[in-house]
Amino acid sequence: MSIVLGVMEEGLIYAIMALGVYITYKILDFPDLSVDGTFPLGAAVTVMLILKGVNPFLTLFLAFLTGAFAGCITGIIHVKFKVRDLLSGIIVMTALYSLNLRIAGKANVPIFSQETIFENAWLESMVSEALEPYLVALILLVIVVVCKILLDLYLNTRSGFLLRAAGDNDVLVTSLAKDKGMVKILGLAIANGFASLAGCVYCQQKGFFEISTGTGTMVIGLASVIIGMKLLKRFNSVKATTAVITGSVVYKACVSIAIAMGMAASDLKLITAVLFLVILVVSNRTEGKVKIAGKKGK
Amino acid sequence: MKKRNVKAVILATMAMAVLAGCSSSKNTETTTTSSEATSSAESKAEDGSSAESSSAGEDTGVAEIADGDFTVGIGQFAEHGSLDNCRIGFLQGLADEGIVEGKNLTVLYENAQADGGTASQIMDNFLAKKADLICAIATPIAQSAYSAVKKDGVPVIYTAVTDPVAAELANADGTPVGEITGTSDKLPVTQQLEMIRKVLPDAKTIGIMYSTSEINSVSAIEEYKEAAGDYGFEIVESGISSTADIPLAADNLVEKVDCITNLTDNTVVSSLPVILDKAGKKNIPVFGSEVEQVKIGCLAAMGLDYVSLGEQTGKMAAQVLKGEKKASEMNFEVIKEAAFYGNTKVAENLGITLPDELTESAAGLFDEISSTTK
Amino acid sequence: MLELSHIHKYYNAGTVNEMCLFQDFSLTIQDGEFVSVVGSNGSGKTSMLNLICGSIPLDSGSIRIGGKDITNMPEFKRQRKIGRVYQNPAMGTCPSMTILENMSLADNKGKPFDLRPGTNRQRVDFYREQLKSLGLGLEDKMDVKVGVLSGGQRQAMALLMSTMTPIEFLILDEHTAALDPKTAEIIMQLTGKIVEEKHLTTIMVTHNLRYAVEYGNRLLMMHQGHAVMDRAGAEKTNTQIDEILEKFNEISIECGN
Repeated sequence: MSIVLGVMEEGLIYAIMALGVYITYKILDFPDLSVDGTFPLGAAVTVMLILKGVNPFLTLFLAFLTGAFAGCITGIIHVKFKVRDLLSGIIVMTALYSLNLRIAGKANVPIFSQETIFENAWLESMVSEALEPYLVALILLVIVVVCKILLDLYLNTRSGFLLRAAGDNDVLVTSLAKDKGMVKILGLAIANGFASLAGCVYCQQKGFFEISTGTGTMVIGLASVIIGMKLLKRFNSVKATTAVITGSVVYKACVSIAIAMGMAASDLKLITAVLFLVILVVSNRTEGKVKIAGKKGK
Repeated sequence: MKKRNVKAVILATMAMAVLAGCSSSKNTETTTTSSEATSSAESKAEDGSSAESSSAGEDTGVAEIADGDFTVGIGQFAEHGSLDNCRIGFLQGLADEGIVEGKNLTVLYENAQADGGTASQIMDNFLAKKADLICAIATPIAQSAYSAVKKDGVPVIYTAVTDPVAAELANADGTPVGEITGTSDKLPVTQQLEMIRKVLPDAKTIGIMYSTSEINSVSAIEEYKEAAGDYGFEIVESGISSTADIPLAADNLVEKVDCITNLTDNTVVSSLPVILDKAGKKNIPVFGSEVEQVKIGCLAAMGLDYVSLGEQTGKMAAQVLKGEKKASEMNFEVIKEAAFYGNTKVAENLGITLPDELTESAAGLFDEISSTTK
Repeated sequence: MLELSHIHKYYNAGTVNEMCLFQDFSLTIQDGEFVSVVGSNGSGKTSMLNLICGSIPLDSGSIRIGGKDITNMPEFKRQRKIGRVYQNPAMGTCPSMTILENMSLADNKGKPFDLRPGTNRQRVDFYREQLKSLGLGLEDKMDVKVGVLSGGQRQAMALLMSTMTPIEFLILDEHTAALDPKTAEIIMQLTGKIVEEKHLTTIMVTHNLRYAVEYGNRLLMMHQGHAVMDRAGAEKTNTQIDEILEKFNEISIECGN
C-alpha cells in the first residue's frame, strides 16, 4: 500500500507542475524551460518564508506569485526583447539557479522541525489516527483538484479563451485587437506559478529544500502531459487537465515500477525515453489520420 | 484504429496492475527482485574494493552469524568513489557483527543518481519491500529517508552526512530527531591545515574550489576560513555551479594560490583529474580530503577513510537490527582521528619531501598515481 | 476616411537586395467605398494592406484613419477598427476551439478579456442566427472544433467573425484565393452581402478580375507601387473585364512577364 501512496504523493505533486507545462507546451506551444528554475524557486521561497514564521498555507499563494513573476520575466525577455522562446527559458532558468541559492541561503535547507501544510497543530487536532497514513495524499489531492478546477474555470473565461487562441492562432489575437505578447506573458506567468506552487508543496512534503531538485522538471512535466493526453485522448469526456494529472501519476508509477523491478536509477532516464517513444508511436498510429487532417489547415 | 488505442490503455492498466501487485504480493516480489539487487550490489562491491578492505560479504570467519533474517535498503545519493566506499564499509561493518549478506541479510541497493525525486521513490520502494532498516548515504537522500519513514517508524542509519545538525537530522546536542542516526563525514579541518603547514612551511594562500549547490561544501568553506588564520593561511575560494565551470575556475585559481585543498565536494571531486592536471602544470600541490584522492594524484590528505566510516556505520546499524539499541537512542558519530595519507610519487614530481613526522604515522603511503578514481 | 500620404517603403534597405516597394505613394479611400485592388504579384497590393494594418512598418509617410494619425500605432491597436480576412482560411479562426468559442471570441473584440465567462449564454441564439445566415449548416455544429471544418466553412466563419463587432474597415486579403471556384463564389456573395448590410468601407485584394469588376464601387490596379488604374463611380460600373485584362497585359509585358 505504501508504494501506491508514495506514487500518488509524488504524482500529485508533479501534477501541479504538469498543469503549468500543459499551459505552455500544449496551449501556448511554447517550450518553456524556466520551470526547471521556478520549481525550486517555489521551494526556496517556501523554506525561507516558513523559517521566518509565515503560515505554511500562505506560502502556497506567495510561492505561486513568485513563480508567476519569474514567468513574466521569461515572457518579457521573449516578447519585448525578441529572444527565442527556448533561450528565454534557459536564461531565466540559469538566473534562477543563483537566485534560488540566494533566497534559500544555502543549497540545502531542512524544515523538518517546522510546521508545514502536511504537519501542523491544527491538522493533528483535526485528523483521526486511522486517516493519518493517507493524510498527505489527501491534502495533495485537494490541492491538485482545486488547481485543476481553477484552471478549467480560467480557461473558460474570456481571458482564458484569449490564451487558448494565442497558442492556436496568434494572428487571430491580433485581429481581436489584443497584444499577443501580453497574452503569452500572462500564460507563462500562470504556468510558472503552478511550477512554483508544485515546488512549494514538494519541499513541504519532503521537509527540505535542495537546490538540485529542479533538474529535469521540464522533462517530467512534458512526460506527464504527453502520457496523459495520449492515453486518454479517446475519452472525449475527459478534460485535458484531468489527463495531465493522470499522466503525472502514471509517469511516477512507471518510475516506481522500474525501481521495484530492480532497475538501476542510472537507467531510469532511458526508460523514460522508451516510455515516451512507445506512447507517442502507439497513439500516433491510432490518430495519424486525424492528425494530418488537423495539420493541413495550419 | 480503435484497437490500437485500447492496447495503449491496456498497457497502462497493466502497469497499474503490476503496481498493485507490488503491494499485495510483497513476499514473492521481494525474494525475486532482491536477489537481483543483491548480486548487483555485490559486483559493485567487488570492483570498488579499496586498499584496506577486501570484499565484504565473504569475510565472515570472525563473527558469529546473528539470529534472524534482515532486509536492509541502502539508498545512495550519487555514484561516487567515496560514497561507494561508504557502502562497502557499511556491509563489512554489518558482517563484522554477524549480519552477512547472502546468509541472513538481504540487501536492496538503489542509487538515486543525484535526483531528489528518485530518492523519495527509492525510499517508498524500500518501505514497500518491508526493509527492516534503511541506510542512507549522503545528506539529501538521508533527508528523503527521514521524511519517508516518519510514519512507518523504520529506522534510518545515515552516513556521509557532513552536518547532521544543519540538515535537521539531529538536534543541536547530537541526539537524533527520530528513529534516525548515523555517522558524519565532517572534515578534520584544523588537522588538514596543520598538515599543510608542515608540508609547505612557506605557503600563504590555499585555494579551495567548491560547488555552490552543495551544502556540505559551503559549511566546510566557512570552517576553513575561520581556522585558516590560526595557521597563517589565507583562503581563496572559487565557487562553481557545474562541472563545466571547473576548467576555467581551475585556470583562475592556480594563478592566485600556493596550493589547493579539496573538500568532499561531489562535483569537484569527480572532476579532480582536471584540477590535478592544471595544478601540476603550475607545480602547485593539491591536497585531498580522503584516501581515494591521494591515490589518484593529490599530494597528501589528513583524510577520512570512507570504508572505515562505513564500517562504523554498519556497526551502529547492527545494534539496531539486533534490537540492542534503538536508533533514537544513539547520537550520531564522527570519525575521531583523521589519518595521514601521502603520495610519494606526487611529492617527487613536485620536488617536495613529505616530512618524516607525517610519513611515520601515515595510515597509507602510495608510490604511484593510479589513473582512475576507483 | 483612410488616407495614405507620401508612403515610402523599401525592403532590405541598405543591402544588395534592396527593393523599392513604394515611392511617394498616396491614396485616399472615402467612407463607404468598396475598393477592389488588382495587380500582378509583387505589385504592392498585400504590402499596402500590411502597411494599413501595421503588420509591417513604413519608412516614411503617414497613415490616417478618420483624420487621426495611426502611423505609429501598434498593429493590435489598429485592429480595433479594422476587420481582416486572410487568404489562408486557418488565419481567421482557432482550430482547437469550438465554433461557439470562436464566435464568442470574435464577439468580445473591443471589450476587456477579463475573468467573465468566455461564452455569454444569452448570445448563443444570436451566434446561431449569424451562422445560419451563412447557409452552411454550421449552426448545428456549435460544439464542433473549427479544425475539422473545410477551408470554405472556416473562411465563411472568419468573415463572419471579423465583421461581428462594429468596425470601420474591412480588409480582404485575397480571401477567396485558396478556395475552390464554387466555394469562392459563395464566400464572395457572402462578402457582398455583409459589406452592404453593415455599410463597411472595404478594401479587397483579389486576383480574380471578374470579382474585381462585379463587386465594389471603386477599382484600383497596382503596379510597381503605383496605382496605374483608379476608377470609381459610374466610370467603374462601365469598366469591362476585357479592358482590365488589356491593361494588365500591357503592364505585364513592360515587366517582361
